[in-house]
Amino acid sequence: MRFKSSILAATAFATGISSSMAQDTVKVGVLHSLSGTMAISETSLRDVLLYTFDEINAAGGVLGKKIEPIVVDGASDWPLFAEKAEELLVKEKTAVTFGCWTSVSRKSVLPVYEKHNGLLFYPVQYEGEEQSKNIIYTAEAVGQQAIPAVDYLLKEGMTKFYLIGTDYVYPQTTNLVLFEYLLSKGIPVENIGGGLRKDAAGKVISAGNYTPFGHSDFQQIVADIKKFSASGDACVVNTINGDANVPFFKEFAASGLSSEDCPVVSFSISEDEFRALPAKDLVGHLGCWTYFMSIDSPANKKFKDGFQAWLKKTDVAGVVKENRVTCSPMVLSYNGVYLWKAAVEKAGSFDVEKVTAALEEGISFDGPGGTVTSQKNHHVTKSVFIGETLETGQFDIIESFKDVFGEPFLKGTFKK
Amino acid sequence: MNLTDFCNRSLFWVLFILALSGPLHAEETEARRILSKLILANSEEQQAVTEELYDHGDQIIKEVIEGWRIGEVSIFDQDGNPIALLKRGEDSYEEISSGNSFSGGSESKINRTSRKLRKKLRNVVDFLDLSSNDPKERIDAAMKLGLTQKPDYVEVLQERINRQKDPEVKEAFEVALNISLLKNSDPSQKLQAVKDLGESASFPARDFIEALRVEASESDDDGASDLKEACVVALEKIDSEQKRVEFYGSLLRGLSTGSVLLLVSYGLAITFGLMGVINMAHGEFIAIGGYTAYVVQGIFEGTYGIGSTGYEWYFAFALPASFFVAAFFGILLERGVIQFLYNRPLESLLATWGISMIIQQVIRLKFGAANVAVSSPQWLFGSYEFYRVSMSYNRLFLIAFALFVIIATWLLLNKTRRGLHIRATMQNRPMASSLGIKSSRVNMMTFAYGSGLAGLAGAFLSQIGNVGPSMGQTYIVDSFMVVVVGGVGNLLGAALSSLGIGVIDQGLQPLLGPVMGKITVLFAIILFLQLRPGGLFPARTRSLDD
Repeated sequence: MRFKSSILAATAFATGISSSMAQDTVKVGVLHSLSGTMAISETSLRDVLLYTFDEINAAGGVLGKKIEPIVVDGASDWPLFAEKAEELLVKEKTAVTFGCWTSVSRKSVLPVYEKHNGLLFYPVQYEGEEQSKNIIYTAEAVGQQAIPAVDYLLKEGMTKFYLIGTDYVYPQTTNLVLFEYLLSKGIPVENIGGGLRKDAAGKVISAGNYTPFGHSDFQQIVADIKKFSASGDACVVNTINGDANVPFFKEFAASGLSSEDCPVVSFSISEDEFRALPAKDLVGHLGCWTYFMSIDSPANKKFKDGFQAWLKKTDVAGVVKENRVTCSPMVLSYNGVYLWKAAVEKAGSFDVEKVTAALEEGISFDGPGGTVTSQKNHHVTKSVFIGETLETGQFDIIESFKDVFGEPFLKGTFKK
Repeated sequence: MNLTDFCNRSLFWVLFILALSGPLHAEETEARRILSKLILANSEEQQAVTEELYDHGDQIIKEVIEGWRIGEVSIFDQDGNPIALLKRGEDSYEEISSGNSFSGGSESKINRTSRKLRKKLRNVVDFLDLSSNDPKERIDAAMKLGLTQKPDYVEVLQERINRQKDPEVKEAFEVALNISLLKNSDPSQKLQAVKDLGESASFPARDFIEALRVEASESDDDGASDLKEACVVALEKIDSEQKRVEFYGSLLRGLSTGSVLLLVSYGLAITFGLMGVINMAHGEFIAIGGYTAYVVQGIFEGTYGIGSTGYEWYFAFALPASFFVAAFFGILLERGVIQFLYNRPLESLLATWGISMIIQQVIRLKFGAANVAVSSPQWLFGSYEFYRVSMSYNRLFLIAFALFVIIATWLLLNKTRRGLHIRATMQNRPMASSLGIKSSRVNMMTFAYGSGLAGLAGAFLSQIGNVGPSMGQTYIVDSFMVVVVGGVGNLLGAALSSLGIGVIDQGLQPLLGPVMGKITVLFAIILFLQLRPGGLFPARTRSLDD
C-alpha cells in the first residue's frame, strides 16, 4: 500500500501550496507507475519531469506562473490509471498531464481525457493506429523507429529478417507493419522468419514469433534463428520487452551466433534498461531510438549536466541518485514539457483547446536529440538514430535520419 | 644422445626459427604499415586499402581488427600528425605502424569502424584463417568465404582443398566451394555442385539452391530442367536432414529444459514431497542461490580482475557456496519457524509465504530492485556439435549436473545410515524418535539439504536467465507442478515428470509457438491429474492418517 501513502503525501503537499499561493502556480499532473512491475522504467520519467519543472520554474515559469507538479501513482494497475487520471482532471483540475508508459495504460486513460477534455503528453514508443484530440504523442511511432531501422539493415545488404517479440499489442502491430513494409521492399515471404498467423480468409493477421512476458527458455527460438541465418545476410528484429531479453541474448551468444553474423536490432532496450541488463551480452547489436545519451551536441550536454546536477541536490523521496543515465523516453518527456510551454505561451492561455490548436500549427523545440516539431496529427517530427551497443551500455551512433514525420496509421499503407 | 647429435639438433632448430622469423617479420612490418594507413585513411580510401591486406597475412591483422571492433584502436594527435594506436592493457598502448609501446596513449581518441568496413575486414580475417592451425577456424573461414559467392575466392578454395588432411575440414571446403560455384560456373559445373551439395545435405546451401531452382524453372535454356530436377532432389535431401537434426535437437533441448525443472523442483520434492512442508519460500532459496553466485562473482572480480584466469573460475566456487548459503538459511527457517508447524500444513503455508515476501524485500533493500548481471565464464561459453545437433556447453553442464544431483540424492537416501534415518523420520516422526533417532536434528538437516538444492538451482539459473529479487516467483509454480505430477513423496517421480514436461514442452514449441505450447502443456497436466490424481507414482502408505 505504498502508493496510497505517497499519493496522500503528494496531495497534502499540493493543497498546502495551493492555498498559500494559488494565483502564481499552474497545476501539472504526472501520471506514472511508481510501484509494481513497471516502476523500474517509469520512475525515471517521473524524475526527469520533476527536473524539467524545476528548470522551467527557475527560468520564470510558464506565462509567469510556477509549475506545481501533482504526482500520482498508477501502480502498474491499468484500471487504477483511469481513476488517477479522473482524480487529476476533476479534483486537481490540472492544465496538462505527462504520463503513461504501456499502451494499455494509455488506452485505459484515453476515454477519461476525452470525456473531461483534458490534455495528455505520451512519451514512449508505441504501435500507432491511434490519434486522439486530447493526446499529444511525443513518442516514437512505428515509422520513427522500426521502419528506419529496417531501412538501415536493407542498406547494409540484409536479405533475411527474423521477427520476434513479446506477446502483446505493441510487438504484434509493429511486426505486422514491418511485414507489409518488407514485402513492399521486395523481400520474399520465405525470407521473413518467425512464422505467420492467418485468419480464415487467408489474410496474414500476425507475423513473427511471440513469447509470454518474462519468458525464460529461448532454446527453440534461437535454434530456429540459427537455421534461418545459416546462409548469411540475416538479422533479427527484436520487440521483446523487459527482462526476457536477458535469457534471449544469453542463449543467442551461447549458441555461437554473433552480432557480426546475425545482428539483432532491439526497440525496447535503451540506456536506462542497461542498468539491469548485462551490456556485455549485447555488444555489437543494434538499437534504434530518437535520442541516444551519446549524442554530441550542446543541447544534450546541457540536458545531461542539468539532470545530474538536479539529482545531486533533489530531496524528492525515492529518487535513485547513483549511476543514472538518460534515454529516449526521458528526453521525449522533457521535449513534451517544453512543447507544451511554448504552445501555452503562443496561445497566451492554459485552455486545452487553444493549446492544442497552437501545437497543431507546428511548434519547434531544440531538444537534446535535435529539433522536434509538433504536427497537425498530434505526433511529432524528430530525428531517428541507429546505435551500436558498447560494453559500457552506451550506444555508438552509426546512422541518423533527419526530421522523420510521425505517422500513426501505417497498417495497410505499404503495397508491393 | 651424444654431443654431435645434440649440436645438430640445436643447429637445426636455430636455422628453422631463423627461417620462419625472417620472412614473417617482413610480413609483419608490411601488414603493420598497411593497417596504420587503413586506420588513418578516410572512409572512401579505406575500401581500397583493405584489399592490400590480402597480400600480407600476419597475426597482427587479426589483433588490430578485433581491437578496432571493441574500441581498443585510437588515434593520437602529435602536433598535427595522427598516429594509430592499439590498446594493449590498462594504460598501455602500442604504435601500430612500428609495434613499439607508446606513452601518453591515454590522451588519444578512440576510433571506430563502420559495420560496412568491418564486413570487408571480416573477409580479410577469414581469408587469413584459411591457413589457420585450428581446424575449426579453417572450417568457419571457408564457409564464410563460400557464402559470399564472390568469384575471387573460387580459385583460392579450389587450390586449398587438396591441402586439407582432416576429412571434416576437407568436406567443409568442398561445400564452401560448391556454394560459390552455384553462382560462378557453367551449367554443367552448377549441376554437379547442386548434386554434391545435396549429397552432403548442407544447410547453408539451402537458400542458394532454392534460388537456383526458381531461376531454373523460369528459364528455358538447355539443361534448365535437369538443373531444376537436381535442385528439387537436393532440397529434399537437405530438408529431411534438417528434420532429423530438429528432432534430435528438440529432444536434447527438452532434456535441458527438463534438467532446469528438475534442479528447481528437486529441493521441493524433498521439503514438500518427503517432509510434507508446503514451503512457499522455496523460490526465494533459488533467488538466494542466484545472488550468492553474484556476490562470489563480485569477490573474484575484486581479487583477480575481470577476464583473468582466476576470475574465470568463480563459478566453480559459486556452486558449492550457493548450496551452503541456501542450506544455512534453510536451517534458520526450519529452526525459527517450521519446526513448530510440522503437523499444521496450512499454517506452514501462510508462514512460509510471509517469509518469502520478507526475503524478497530484504534482497531489494540490499541489492536494489533491478536485476543484477551475472556473467558466464568462458569455459561454459560456446556450443558442442554432435552429428550437426548443437548444444551449448552450459546446457550440457546443466544436464550432467542434474544427473549428478539425482544420483547423489538417491545414494544419500538409500545407501547411507543418515538416509535410513531420514526415511524413517519422514514415514513416522514419533515412531522414529521412540527408536532413538534424533528426529528434530534429522528434520533440520533434511530441510537444509532441500534448501541447498534450491540454492544450487539458483546458481545455475544465473547462467541462463535473470537474477532478480522476484526470480523465485517464476519457478515456484513450475516446482509444485513437477512434484505433484511426479507423485508427492517420490523423488524418482519428480525426476521423470520434470524430464517429461521438459521434452513435451520443447517438442510442442516448434509446432505451436511458445505461448500456445505452454498452454497445451498445462492443459495436458490438468487432464493427467484428473486421470491419475496421485501423479506418476502415487505414495502408497499404510498409515491411518492418509
